[in-house]
Order: sequence, then structure tokens, then C-alpha cells
Amino acid sequence: MKDLKHLYYFESLLQDANNELVRQAQAEGKLAIGYTCFHMPEVLLNLDKCFSTRLRAPNMGSMEIATYYMCNGSCEYSRALLERAMEGNYQYLDAMAGVDLCEAMNRCMENMELLQIQDPNKKNFFWVNTDVAYSDDEASVKHTVEQLRRKLLNKLHENYGVDISDDALRAAVAEHNEVCRLITEIGEYRKLDNPTITGYEFHVITLATYVCPKYLIIDKLRETLEELKTREPDKKPNHRIKVVVVGSEIDDPDLIRLMEENGALVVADRFCYGSIPGRQEIILNDGEDVLTQICRQYLQATECPRHCAPHRVQYRYDHVAQLVKDYKADGVIYEQMKFCTYWSYERTLASHVMADEYGIPTLSIDRPYRSGNSGQLRTRIQAFVENVEIKKIKARHEAKMQEVK
Amino acid sequence: MAYNPKTGKGLGDLYRGDSRAMRHREWKGFRDTMYDFGRWLKCYGFMACKLGGHPILLVKAMLRYRWMLSYLTAANMIDRHTIGLRGNELRYVHEELFALVHNATINVKEILQRDEHLRPNSKKAQRLRENTVMFDEMTPSNIMWGFPTLDWMDIAMMTIGMPGEVDQQANVYYIDRIEEFGMAADVCPLPAAECGCAVVNDYPILGKTYITSTMPCDGSIGQTTFMARYFKDLPIYQITPPQRFNEPEVQEFAVHNLQGCIDFIEKNYGVKWDWDSFWENAKKYNESTQAVIDKWDINCTDYPQVCGAALSLTREYEFQGAGCMDPYLYKAQLKTTEMAKKGYEKDAAKGEKNYRHRAIVWACPAHYYTNFTYWADKCWGVKTLVDMECMLSYHMYHIGDEKQAMIDMASSYERMMMRSHTNGGYVNSLDECWKMVKKFNADMVIMYDHVSCKNVGCLHGLYEDQAREHGVHMVWIPHDLMDPRTVSRVAMRDAFNKYMTNVFREEPLDPTFVEYEDALTW
Repeated sequence: MKDLKHLYYFESLLQDANNELVRQAQAEGKLAIGYTCFHMPEVLLNLDKCFSTRLRAPNMGSMEIATYYMCNGSCEYSRALLERAMEGNYQYLDAMAGVDLCEAMNRCMENMELLQIQDPNKKNFFWVNTDVAYSDDEASVKHTVEQLRRKLLNKLHENYGVDISDDALRAAVAEHNEVCRLITEIGEYRKLDNPTITGYEFHVITLATYVCPKYLIIDKLRETLEELKTREPDKKPNHRIKVVVVGSEIDDPDLIRLMEENGALVVADRFCYGSIPGRQEIILNDGEDVLTQICRQYLQATECPRHCAPHRVQYRYDHVAQLVKDYKADGVIYEQMKFCTYWSYERTLASHVMADEYGIPTLSIDRPYRSGNSGQLRTRIQAFVENVEIKKIKARHEAKMQEVK
Repeated sequence: MAYNPKTGKGLGDLYRGDSRAMRHREWKGFRDTMYDFGRWLKCYGFMACKLGGHPILLVKAMLRYRWMLSYLTAANMIDRHTIGLRGNELRYVHEELFALVHNATINVKEILQRDEHLRPNSKKAQRLRENTVMFDEMTPSNIMWGFPTLDWMDIAMMTIGMPGEVDQQANVYYIDRIEEFGMAADVCPLPAAECGCAVVNDYPILGKTYITSTMPCDGSIGQTTFMARYFKDLPIYQITPPQRFNEPEVQEFAVHNLQGCIDFIEKNYGVKWDWDSFWENAKKYNESTQAVIDKWDINCTDYPQVCGAALSLTREYEFQGAGCMDPYLYKAQLKTTEMAKKGYEKDAAKGEKNYRHRAIVWACPAHYYTNFTYWADKCWGVKTLVDMECMLSYHMYHIGDEKQAMIDMASSYERMMMRSHTNGGYVNSLDECWKMVKKFNADMVIMYDHVSCKNVGCLHGLYEDQAREHGVHMVWIPHDLMDPRTVSRVAMRDAFNKYMTNVFREEPLDPTFVEYEDALTW
């Protein structure tokens, strides 16, 4: 396929957390609010003059200092962020909105706080660490509302004079929804029999929407969507199977590229920093408090295995099966960041459940933070692709035999 | 047989590298040896009396459940914890640990009586199960204070937690099974072993509902997914205390969640919450908690009494395993506190200090080496004054105030074992450590460095930095909680020996006890 016009531009935005659009927005007087987790509602960080910047550590090399502070058995993503923070890369932030969700990320934030990684000249800088509920019932919603209002919204207002009214919230939701609509429409092209966008391209575009001020990137998203309407696919598909990728944080498009180079086209991205969840519209009614509605929708949409109530676990299994169906995938790749406790358990059990009970071919892998060059992963994905292909051939053969009979 | 410089014999000579059992019992002098042997007889005598009435079921249980066999080695566990002890110290440990044996034996008996796997066709067992609530290991059971007519059992504590402390090899099989199933080998082996036990169907079925939780850590949350699947045909309730529990604002959510659990039990068992019963149990909890605090206070002085693992194990099992409802544990807690007060007066009058260093233990100890603190005492003269794990839920309940009592109960859950320090922000772990060092006038911190628990919850570097700032000796003792193959007991001792030799430049009290082989022992 012909290259997307803005792909190189989107890729360039992913080379540095403090990228050119972040710098431009700050030069225009905007406030950069850092965050990492889906459970910190992104839309709240885009209120009024704020913009959200979901932290990454692109091109991370050594993590020696962070390993000293957090140990070599902790999540590499968390360590990478701490290392990058200590290198000074996040000093552009005006506040850091963390959640006490998983131990590694919570401690990463606490290490940052105690090691004082923020710009000392930013006198109004503040840290947030919210308590996150474990389920999606109304008590959990109420609890989340209290946490976010007290620790985030009130602080934004007190420290920076940010407008936290319902009108401001609705405006933020409107902007958020427009980005979500565009990403969703772009993502629909992955459902074609011969998709006109690759998983790598889609991941790059989605990532860009997480790390850049939205108002500065929306034009490029619109243009990309227009471009896709007329984009011609390769005549002969250059993939062997289609897969849904499910699991923990991936902010490394090279991992998706590695999968696709080995014949597994990624048609759905059900992982943190992917579009499912994260790029679904927030639907508001007029009768209820806006913050409550936002919190409820985030709690209901989360796919994090920290939500371990039986109905939430079942929801995740069913959702993956539905994605496989909707995106016409041949299998699922369950992946986890090495040392991620939640996903260790979820991946292990789900890989059996999906294969045995849903009949969906499943590959189960763990991986380091930067894994685009992993030979081991390459081999495992190649083996999975061949395995699925053989199953497909067998199924076709059996179908023919049935017809003959 | 303390170290004898003339003969060169000491405590290390009790162990043989090629045998599970020790060479012989320790000679502690006539009086203490007779007392010690009497307690050995009492331990097995009690087990035989309580369980001997069910010989067929007992044999069936041993054939059905791998973990059941570990309980046969209970007396060896007590022996391990009393090596080198004399006089009052010996008596404190025996009293405390026998209370645990007592509690465990009763629990085993109750398992035999009602387990569906052992008695699938028994109507009596069925009736018992209809009246029993099953709890997850790390879910405190204080909520049962208000349900006096119901029974309850902690299923994972009896199958994984306690056997792992009695027998260092007990959990290895289950860890291997879950890793074969696909689990990463880097997760904490406690919840991993619990999942392995589910995968091989080694849990007893003891009740008609299952109460699980999100406590105390990420691993336990992961484990819940497996356990909920294991008990998928039963009604399940999940207790989910908030993480940031130092904030008063979160208590409303916590209380609501506990109220949900009460409603769940009422609905499934057709019973009503009984405040009178609740107050009665809460009073006992308060008295027992006060007894523990008294012991800590004594240990803050120059003449500490109940030290090491006995202090922590009893509190852990009293709270976590028995929900502070076991009358024997309650009496033992009060009795040892009284003994400790008298012991303190006696030692203070003599003015003799029997230690070189005063240490506190921080972070999670190795289940397979709970007697490490006694070894450190007898080998190097390092007295362990308090253990982070026993500093759980030590606030008092407000008797008579129903609204406040629910908040008190929520606080108990939030501050259950380990969680009281590892959750709720770094202040509960880091800052609290330095506070306790000061309070107990300690010059050392024995930091249990659980390698699969992110080496003290990703705070490793901050501990190192702040220990230097506070001028405290911090000795990192690596371990892997339930899996002695990752870090053996020898390796744990080796880390301590190196510190004592290289940093303190000290000589051991008993050179035979510095290095010995105990990988085969229970």
C-alpha cells in the first residue's frame, strides 16, 4: 500500500515525550498533565487550559538507576518511566495524575515524588494518587467521583485556576469524543477482508492521540481518515493470519511491527495505550452530574484484570471473543509486560479459557518493555502463525470432505 | 547444648545434611529438657486425641491431599523455633506455638468432618457445609463476629499458608503445577501455589459460599480469578477495601462494601447480624490486641521478652486464621503477656542483657524459614524485637457505637497482615519503618527481601538511601516466601553471616551454627 501521508509525522511525535506539539501547547499557555493509566480518566486532564500527556519512555536504553530504586523484578514499563523521569525528561509536566492501581506503577510515582523529579521552578506542580475501585457498581462510581473531585479537579482549580464546571467538563468530553470518532472510523478499516490500514499504522496514530494535545493533532487525523477512504490495499494480502492483541501496556509500535512482519496482522488492539478501551465516545445525558457519568463509563469500560469480580472476568473473555468475531480474526495473542502481576494471572488463565472454551487459537507471551528486536518473540509468533494456518488448512480440507460425502 | 568451646560442639551439630530429622533432641539442661520434651508429648498427644477419633477419614485425607501430610511434622516446627532457647524464652515460644497447633488441629478436624471430597455422601457433612462460610486465605474473618450460629473456614490458610510454614517443601509441588500451567515464574509463590492447588483440585469443599477479597496485594487479586473459577458454582462475595486507607474519606466506601458482605451472608444462610455477639468478640479482640501491644512495649525496653517469630506467628494466625475468635489463642495471648511482664521484672532486677544487637524485622518473612530470627539470635546475638507482619490491625474497636464499629472493622480489613504496611502509600512502609526503629531503640533492620515481591515492593532504593540517612544498619535477607529452591535457608543465613562478618567484624556466638545444611529438613 502507498504510505499514509502523515505517518512519518505521527512517528516523529512518538520519539520524545516532550514532543513538538507538547512544547507548542505549553508555549500557548496550556498546562501539561502527565498520566499513565486508563483509570485516570483522560478526559478530565483535558479540561479548560489543560492537556493530557500519557507518559512513555521512547528509545529507552539502560534502566540501571531505576532498577536500583525499584529492583530488577519489577515492571519494566514502570522502571523505564522512572529512569526517564530521573533523566529530566518529564520536567515539562505541570502536574502528575497517578493512580494507586498496580504496585509497580504506584511505586514508580512515589519514587518520582520522593526523588523530586519535577521542575523545581514549577511551584504549583502537584502529585495525584487516587484510590481506584475494584468493580463497576454504583458505590465504586461514587468512590471514584469523590477521589477525582478532591484530588484532581479541586487541585487543578486551586493551583492553576482551571475551570472545573460542568460546562467545562462537557466541552472536554466533546473534544474527546471527536478524537474517538475519528480513531474509531479509522479503525473500522481493519475489519475489511483485506484491511487498508495495518496494525502498526493504526497503533502509531492511536499513540499520537494519547501523547499530544488533541486540538493540535485533530486536523491530521481528519486528513488521514479522508486518505483511508480511497486507499487501495495491496492486491495480494501480505499477511497470513489476522490476530487480536490482548494484554498489558504496549506503547511500542515496533512490537506490533514485529508481529506483522511475521505474518500476523493486528486487527484489534485490546491493550493499554491501544484504542480498546480508550477511544470510545463518552455519552452524556442532561440529568446527571457530568463527573459521575464520566467515572461510571470508565469503570464499565475498563479491561484491567485488577477488576477480578467474576462478572468482570467474564466480561473480558466475552469481549475478546466478540472482537475476534467483529474483526474476523483467526486468533488471539495474549501478551503481558514481563513482571506485570495482574496480567501474569489473566494471561495464564485466559489463554486456556479462550482456547478450550471459546475454541479460539491463542498465543500467550510475556515480553520486555522494548521488544521490537526480540528473536524469541519472532520465533514464537512465526510458530503461532504456522499453527493457525495449518488449522485453517485442515478445516478447509475437512469441509471439502464433508461436501464430497 | 549451647556452644561448648572445649568440645567444639554446638547447635549446628544437630543438623545432618543427608537427613530430614535432626541427629537428636537438644540437651537444654535437665529442667528445660524435661519441659521441652513434655511439650513435645503434649503436641502429639493433643493431635492424636483430637484427630484419632476419625482414623479412616484421616487416612483418606492424607491420601487425597498432599498438604495434609505436612501437619505430621508440627512438632519439628516447634523444635526449630526453640533451638537454643532456655528458661522463660523457651516457655514463651512453646505456649505461643502450641496455641497455633491447637488451632490448626481443630481446623483439620473440622475439615475432616465436612469436606465434600472426603465425605461426598454424608448427610451430616452436608448439613455442616450448609452452615459454613469459606474464606480466602488473606481475607480476615472478623465479619463472622456478628454471625454466632454460623461456622466458617479459611480454606487456603489450611492448605497452603500453614503447611508452608510447617514444612518448607509443602508448597513446591503446587508452584510447579501452576508454572506448568503457564504462569510466569516471577510472581509471588504464595498466590501462585494457591492457584496451583486449584489447578490440581486439592482444596477441600467445606461450605456453600465463598468470600474472597482483593487483599493484600496484586498477586492475591490475580489469585482471586483462579479461585473464583474453582468455586464457580458457589455464590461468591468479594471484599474490596480501599488502597489509600489513611484517608478518612475512603471509609464510607469500605463500610459499604463490608455491609454488602453482611447482606450476602444473611441472604445465603437465612440468618441475621447479631450485635451482641459482635460486641462480645470485639471486646476479646480489644483485650487480645492490648496484650500484643503490651508485649511490644516490653520489647521496647532493655529487657525484651517475647521475641522473634513466636510474637508474629501467633498474632498473624490469631487475626488472619482465627479471626480473634479462638478461645485458646485468646487465652494464650493473655497468658504469655502476663508471663512476659513477670519475666521483664525478673530480668530488669538482674540487669543483664542477653543480646548484642537490637533488630526489627521488616517486610514479609519467608514462610519456609520463620525461625530465622531465632537463628540470628543464637548465632550472632541479634534479638528480634518486633516483626512488621505482627503489626496488623492494632487499633481498638469502639464498643457500643454501631456506626463507628463498622469503620473500625473496615480499618481492620484495611490493615490486615502485610497490607497495613505495603498498601496505602510509601509512608506506611518507609516512614513507619524508621518510626519503629526509633520506638524499639533498634540498631538494625533485618529486611526480608522477598525477591518475587519486587524486593520490598519497589522501594528498595529508597530504603537503602534512607537507611544511610538514619544511620541504621539494614541487612537484606533475600528469600522467595514459599519456594526454598529460589533462595535456600543456607543462602539466607549466608547473607546475614556476610554482613555480620564484613560490616560488624563480629565473631559468632556459636561457630557451628554459622553454616550447616538443612535443605532436606522440614
